[in-house]
Amino acid sequence: MDTDALLPAIQLRDASAFGQWMARAEPPIRESLRSFATLIDVEAIVQETLLRVWQVAPRFEPDGAPNALLRLGVRIGRNLAVSEVRRTRARPTDTDDLDRALAAAEAFDARESAPDPMLRERIAECHDKLPDKPREALTARLRGAGATSDADLASSLSMRLNTFLQNFTRARRLLAECLRKQGVAIDPELEA
Amino acid sequence: MTDPKDDDELLVEQVATAWRPPVRDALRYHPAWHDLDAEGRARAFDRAKALREVEAALDPEGLSTTVRAVLARISG
Repeated sequence: MDTDALLPAIQLRDASAFGQWMARAEPPIRESLRSFATLIDVEAIVQETLLRVWQVAPRFEPDGAPNALLRLGVRIGRNLAVSEVRRTRARPTDTDDLDRALAAAEAFDARESAPDPMLRERIAECHDKLPDKPREALTARLRGAGATSDADLASSLSMRLNTFLQNFTRARRLLAECLRKQGVAIDPELEA
Repeated sequence: MTDPKDDDELLVEQVATAWRPPVRDALRYHPAWHDLDAEGRARAFDRAKALREVEAALDPEGLSTTVRAVLARISG
């Protein structure tokens, strides 16, 4: 699917359509910022990038090639990342880090991603098999929807922050183990 | 006494969340991100990437917590 199919609705300020666009655009935008990961908080850049795409979308004119809005998002993210690295240059960094990050970002090819229905099914099955406390921690993160801190989520479950994080870690590892047993290729960091 | 490796692991787990503190007119860094060394920051990036995929798979609309957080800012 060309993600630009959602552009007319986004330009009419349809937040639901923008949510579907972000579901496809977030992974490649995040990946395009990989080379900045040791220099700046990439999660902060990804969220700010998506917000700015929403803000400029009404005035955006696609060039006719596929995924034009996604390519714009990758450019916005890269520019934000470069500005942020320059702003925080006072912090000691390895020499040539910015040059390396820039070269990697320039070489990045914006790709399209789509959710895999089979994977969704397997993850849901494994989630349901989790023990109570780890599942509570994972579910709390999901329900928090990026708007609630871990400290507040822990408090809502009557857990100390460290206990909450340990339960979340256990949930993540058990989920990875369950998926691996089902023959699903796992991101190594999911079971780390 | 806790193992420093355990402390680092908990920091990575915190930074890999989509939650970022609300800050006016500035990028929203996770406070724990500053406490991570380069290796920890790289791991937090990979961890976040892996978790966003899981979150989207468990969400009825296929949205990760990053997407949910941005939608909340748009509507807020």
